[in-house]
Amino acid sequence: MMRYLIVLAVMLLPLNAFAFTGDEIMKKSQAVFLYPGKDFKARVMMKLISKAGQERIREMAMLRKNYGEAGGDQRYFIYFFQPADVKDMTFMVYKYPAKDDDRWLFVPAINMVRRIAAQDKSSSFVGSDFTYEDISGRDIEDDAHAIIREEKLGERDCYVITSAPKAGDVDYSHKLSWIDKANFLPLKEEYYAKTGEIHRVFTADEIKDVKGFPTVTKRTMKNLKTGHRTEVGFVKTDYDIGIEDSLFSERYLKQAPRKWIE
Amino acid sequence: MKKAIMRLVDLSVNRPRLIVLLTIIITIPFAVQFSKIRIDTDPENMLRDDELVRVFHKEVKKTFNIEEFLVLGIVRDDGIFHKDSLKRIKRITDDLLNIKGVVADDVVSLTVTNNVVAKEGILNVRPPMVKVPETQEDIDRLKKEVLDNPLFKDKLVSSDGKGVVIYVPLENKAIAHEVGGKIKEIYKKEDGPERYYMAGLPIAEDTFGYEMFLQMGLFAPMAGGLLMVVFFIIFRRLSFVIPPMLVAMLSVAWTMGALIGSGFTVHIMSSMIPVFLMPIAICETVHILSDFYEKLPRVNDRKTAILQVFDELAKPLFFAPITTAVGFADLALADIPPVKVFGVFVAIGIVFAWLLSMTFLPAVLMLIKERRPILKKEAGSRALAMIGRFSLGKSMFVVTVGAVLLAISSYGITKLVVNDNPVKWFKKQHPIRIADRELNKLMGGTYISYLVVEGAHEDDIKRADVMNYIERLQRRLEKNPVVGKTTSAADVVKRVNYALHDEDGKYETLPNEKDAIGQYLFLFLMSSAPDELDNFVDYAFKKANIWVQLKSGDNRDMTGVVKYTEDYIKSNPPPDGIKVEWSGLPYLNITWQKLMVTGMLKATIGTWWVVFVLMIFQFRSFWWGVVGMLPLVFSVAFCYGLIGFAGKEYDMPIAVCSTLAIGLGDDFAIHFISRFRERFKAAGDLKSAMEWTMGGEPALAIFRNALVIALGFSPMAIATLTPYVTVGLFFGFLAFFAGIVTLIFLPALIGTFKGALLKKQQEVLR
Repeated sequence: MMRYLIVLAVMLLPLNAFAFTGDEIMKKSQAVFLYPGKDFKARVMMKLISKAGQERIREMAMLRKNYGEAGGDQRYFIYFFQPADVKDMTFMVYKYPAKDDDRWLFVPAINMVRRIAAQDKSSSFVGSDFTYEDISGRDIEDDAHAIIREEKLGERDCYVITSAPKAGDVDYSHKLSWIDKANFLPLKEEYYAKTGEIHRVFTADEIKDVKGFPTVTKRTMKNLKTGHRTEVGFVKTDYDIGIEDSLFSERYLKQAPRKWIE
Repeated sequence: MKKAIMRLVDLSVNRPRLIVLLTIIITIPFAVQFSKIRIDTDPENMLRDDELVRVFHKEVKKTFNIEEFLVLGIVRDDGIFHKDSLKRIKRITDDLLNIKGVVADDVVSLTVTNNVVAKEGILNVRPPMVKVPETQEDIDRLKKEVLDNPLFKDKLVSSDGKGVVIYVPLENKAIAHEVGGKIKEIYKKEDGPERYYMAGLPIAEDTFGYEMFLQMGLFAPMAGGLLMVVFFIIFRRLSFVIPPMLVAMLSVAWTMGALIGSGFTVHIMSSMIPVFLMPIAICETVHILSDFYEKLPRVNDRKTAILQVFDELAKPLFFAPITTAVGFADLALADIPPVKVFGVFVAIGIVFAWLLSMTFLPAVLMLIKERRPILKKEAGSRALAMIGRFSLGKSMFVVTVGAVLLAISSYGITKLVVNDNPVKWFKKQHPIRIADRELNKLMGGTYISYLVVEGAHEDDIKRADVMNYIERLQRRLEKNPVVGKTTSAADVVKRVNYALHDEDGKYETLPNEKDAIGQYLFLFLMSSAPDELDNFVDYAFKKANIWVQLKSGDNRDMTGVVKYTEDYIKSNPPPDGIKVEWSGLPYLNITWQKLMVTGMLKATIGTWWVVFVLMIFQFRSFWWGVVGMLPLVFSVAFCYGLIGFAGKEYDMPIAVCSTLAIGLGDDFAIHFISRFRERFKAAGDLKSAMEWTMGGEPALAIFRNALVIALGFSPMAIATLTPYVTVGLFFGFLAFFAGIVTLIFLPALIGTFKGALLKKQQEVLR
């Protein structure tokens, strides 16, 4: 129903009202948000905060390398510093847009690397309020995107885009994104549950320029239903540092290379 | 005092219209308050806000993110592991997640709650049934997977494979009834061999509140209506029916209006105020009316008759209700907030009723136009006179019988079992009781207690010795027959260890190093939702929570489990720096039960002393005070003895009823003794004074009162909430006993102890 209304609304607009289509904007946005550079590294500080205000800290080094065009394959290498008892634990993901990811985890206590089965991409990323999709993106083709309006969010001019999943097996009904017209970064996203209520809200809280790439260095995902939220901060962010393919291997999972994770 | 009262009555008979008008005007502001009514059914509110146990319970709920949830059980007699049943379960769960007010992320069910498994070397954290299995082989595999897992077996799936349970957390518990209705709509759409049961405390509470309204709206007026019918049958005079009912209704309206208007919520206790107030109010008016219609034919002038009645009755009419009111007000000393409110407002209501009896009642009597006042000796009076002669003649015998009965009752009282269970406030055949029974038969128990293990430092819970202690506590608890199931973080750690080692049974154990435990918990956390472990450990890993599922919500059983655990802890002390403490609703319930039993006992005993002192004061005689107390002692002893012998448990409503006994018992005795002594003063002869009291209006009024109350409240026995049933039945028996004791034992007691009782008075006479 919602979708038809949106289509109708879009059809009623004058033809040349927008320079871009919804698809084009989302594609551009994905490229600048999740695929900038050939590769990327950051020290990630993640704070999980419960409804009652209790906090858990995750600190990790995150390395990413792109394979192919924006929207294509990616590899992630994550090394955990905190909590203290999981120091040396590492986690690796081979991300494929059109099929299930491959994931590996190294458990130092038993000195063993285990393959981890990938659930649907909307499952939680390392126990946070972010999903794997929020971290590495959802296939643009999977959703119908449409511009519903343009408005200011704070100081910034934004496109407001609705994205409705084409297949029915997704646990939300649609997403609204506020995309900055200037740099195409998403400044805010609202995920709507099938009941029509807002389920999760993403906000980009700080944006910095790193090597010419506008980068969201502080972000929050809040689950309005459970009251739980996750705050993420990036420090020591860098791009195009020449991460070699060999890093993404079982060998380095067991013995994370110093030069990348200091 | 008496002068002031008589002035009030004088005004009322001279300006009846003004008084009636004033009464109506005063009623309006009270009646307006009713729109502001707020119902409170939370049993937690039986405890003070700052009661330690309650504070800890709140903290535990917050620390472990424990929400209020509904429990939906789906049962199929030939096993739930059939493709069509599993499809229904999947459909129902999917629909549940989309109900407004349900915390979808925290729903616990086969289709959304994570399990840790290993398959072909791949570790998999996912719900057991993401999709409904197609082949029989896959169905069997699913069944084995969940029944093999202690985190699922008897919590989500029954060990016989016949039922599954879905836990549905709510954003707040005030919407439980509403969400329950929507869940019902969802499963009503399915047609299959499955049976559905809905349980859980919030729905019980919310449903209780809903039905409480019905009962208050239905049974209080029904009891009132029946009282009117009984009145009419006995007195055959409409003028005898309407004034008492008006007085009762007005005092109830004023009292409830005052209660709601002062901002109090209507709790299960205060919802019973009308039911308690009505008979007390009616008793007063029956005394007045009985005397009035006895006098009216003789003087043939309404005003004179009324003034004579009040002149004669002013004292007992004042002292009886005041004694009762003080008795109820004494409940304010109990440490249970709803009981305080109840006691104080019943007392206020009694004062209202007294005031109305002194003003509104005579005014109404003045306005009633009756053609022919009838003077006829009632058949009842002759029988009562006979009883009086018998009791007085064979006083020693009657007193001995009474003493024997008292002894037997005391024995019955020793057999009283103190127990309560809020779910049992519903009748046996209520859907909530049925669901409760079926689910507890099937699963590990729907009554969830929390055993909190608290360390001194962060990460203490990850210590191997602490994890091991948690595990040992669980195994020990599970040996108790009331405990159906326990789950904790230790089960999660063991599960991860098992799965990491390719489901090798050797590794279904706890590792010996803190780091390994920490990593296993982390692994589980990073593979599932952010709050998946919240119910088991706090964020700092300083506290752990063992879920203890009990098959019974009886306070007696929880008390047993607490004692059982204490014994174990005493002989197996926890590791250094570790404290173990109970929380959860069943534990809260036993705490308020303790307060209730001791509190009510203390309050009741206190009340007795107050009433006793008041009686001595008003009779100006110690011995008359003692005699005046005896009907109370007797009727209470008989009632509780009967309860003891019948095997009925001493629960909250029964505890409250003991105060009512004081209200009714002393009313009968005060009237009897006052009237008897007045007569004795005039006649100076025991026999003729007794003949006048028993054969005339005083005994008849008491008899009528007892009859009206016993019959009038009998419909409450068919109420759907057991507290109402209990109170209704108790009323009946109590009125019956109090009447008998007053009318049979009092003459005998007076006969037996005439020396002590009458000597002084005879001296006065001389």
